[in-house]
Amino acid sequence: MSEDRSARTPTPWLLLALPAAVLLVFFVLPNALLLSASFLKTEAQQLTNQPTLDNYKFLLTRPLYLEVMLRTLVVGLCVGALDVLLGFPLAYFLVRTKSRWKGLLIALSLAPLLASVIVRTYGWYIILNRFGVVNDALLGLGAIEDRISFMPSTGAIIIGLAHALLPYAVLTIMGSLGGINPNLEKAAMSLGANRTRTFLSVVLPLSVPGVVGGFILVFSIAISAYATPAILGGPATQVAATAIYNFMINLLDWSAGAALAVILIVSSLLLLYAAARMGASRAAL
Amino acid sequence: MSDTRSIRSDTTAPWALLCVVVALIYVFSLGPILITAAVSFNETNRSLFPPRGWSLRWWTRAFGPEWTQALVFSLKLSTLTAVLSTTLALPLAFALHRYRFPGREAMIALALGPLMLPTLVTGVGLLQMFQYAGLRDHIGFGALLAGHLVICLPFAVRTVSISLQTLPPNVELAAASLGATRWNTLRHVVFPLIKNGLVAGAVFAFIHSFTDVNLSLFLATPGEQPITVKILAFLEFGFAPTLAAVSVITLVLPLVLVAVVERISGLGDFIYGERRA
Repeated sequence: MSEDRSARTPTPWLLLALPAAVLLVFFVLPNALLLSASFLKTEAQQLTNQPTLDNYKFLLTRPLYLEVMLRTLVVGLCVGALDVLLGFPLAYFLVRTKSRWKGLLIALSLAPLLASVIVRTYGWYIILNRFGVVNDALLGLGAIEDRISFMPSTGAIIIGLAHALLPYAVLTIMGSLGGINPNLEKAAMSLGANRTRTFLSVVLPLSVPGVVGGFILVFSIAISAYATPAILGGPATQVAATAIYNFMINLLDWSAGAALAVILIVSSLLLLYAAARMGASRAAL
Repeated sequence: MSDTRSIRSDTTAPWALLCVVVALIYVFSLGPILITAAVSFNETNRSLFPPRGWSLRWWTRAFGPEWTQALVFSLKLSTLTAVLSTTLALPLAFALHRYRFPGREAMIALALGPLMLPTLVTGVGLLQMFQYAGLRDHIGFGALLAGHLVICLPFAVRTVSISLQTLPPNVELAAASLGATRWNTLRHVVFPLIKNGLVAGAVFAFIHSFTDVNLSLFLATPGEQPITVKILAFLEFGFAPTLAAVSVITLVLPLVLVAVVERISGLGDFIYGERRA
């Protein structure tokens, strides 16, 4: 209808001026500054104007930081995989159920999104710490004799993040499962396919965009998460986000922190790009 | 008839298994949150589960000035963020919906950009920018508001866009042909139709702001910090049941908000990113 009628009038830019200015000043500019800082030298905890690639060299040669990046990657992959595995059955159930509690069940599965990551992680501390629920249970059952430290550890970070980010996977997968016509399943079965065959050759292939989309979304949030690794990990199990915080706030090494942030951005953007090429669904964004 | 019966008997067993799996996933998903709530009633000063004895003293502390101050700070910050980001999202979404102009794609990328980049990175960048500007000692509410505004804007833009897309295509023309001015058309026709979208956008922005840690971490000061950052700072000194009580309070507030708004105008429609017509 009236879509391209005023291509030459200044109206859209009048409407866009203020929001665009806010985004340029408080989003584009800070990120550009960060990018530039990653190529500058920090001396005596002050950023100088000398260009250098040393920050990247430093991060990519120190075993400590290679380990941090590797751990971040492993955490992202495990959390993404776990959440897709847990999210798929839940999403399938929520889309197909005829229960009259459907609305409530959907609300309950998404409710954790309303809680800050801190609330979602606190419970895992109570469960996993030396005097926590798991230790008490194992001691009570006589399975162990001494208390075990389940945290701080990479495993604890993975469980905590998988728990915190599950709703994102459920939401994305539900989006793509919801788009599958249930009659396709009926048709497959009336043509003689059993339930398993129908699921494997009809439902699963059609839900691939949601599964990939969910994995990518969870992965990209997981690799930049701070609170959960800070609570369930520790100085010995740093990930990218906690290392960046440490550089910026404790060591005051702005260039190294910025370089690590840039590495994080680049890896997450590459992944999003790859996902978009693969036609991943971004419904949950 | 016998056909449908055979399909049904074929499906019951896997479906029952699925139900069991789903029940376990709910336990995994909600258990830790319920455990946190239970721990806040401990008699002892440690976060033990099941709670040892019952007491409300941690709740009394959670409602003490130290924590209510941070809570009020968060509420102010998130409310202002929600209002401002919806106010900015409306003209932005409207321009993108209504006009085709050079640079439109770039504008969409800019508007959704804060979703693509890790929030933590934007936080670090903002801190650095304020440092450059010589405002490092003046971060706090203003800096937090700027950051929250930017990271919450995409949520508001998306929601408002969705509600604009569901406008019946010719309402504006109809109003204009009946003699309404552009302003009157917007005020009396378009605005009432997208009101629910605006409310939903504001709610999503509020929740994203209220639960944020990654950005606030860098821009908060000891005197001016959102409640999430304060909880995180206190966790370093140990997991006292007060923190569990405070955590539950921060969970209940958005829950109540969502329940109320859902009752009044319906949020569910906006969750999938496309509104059911």
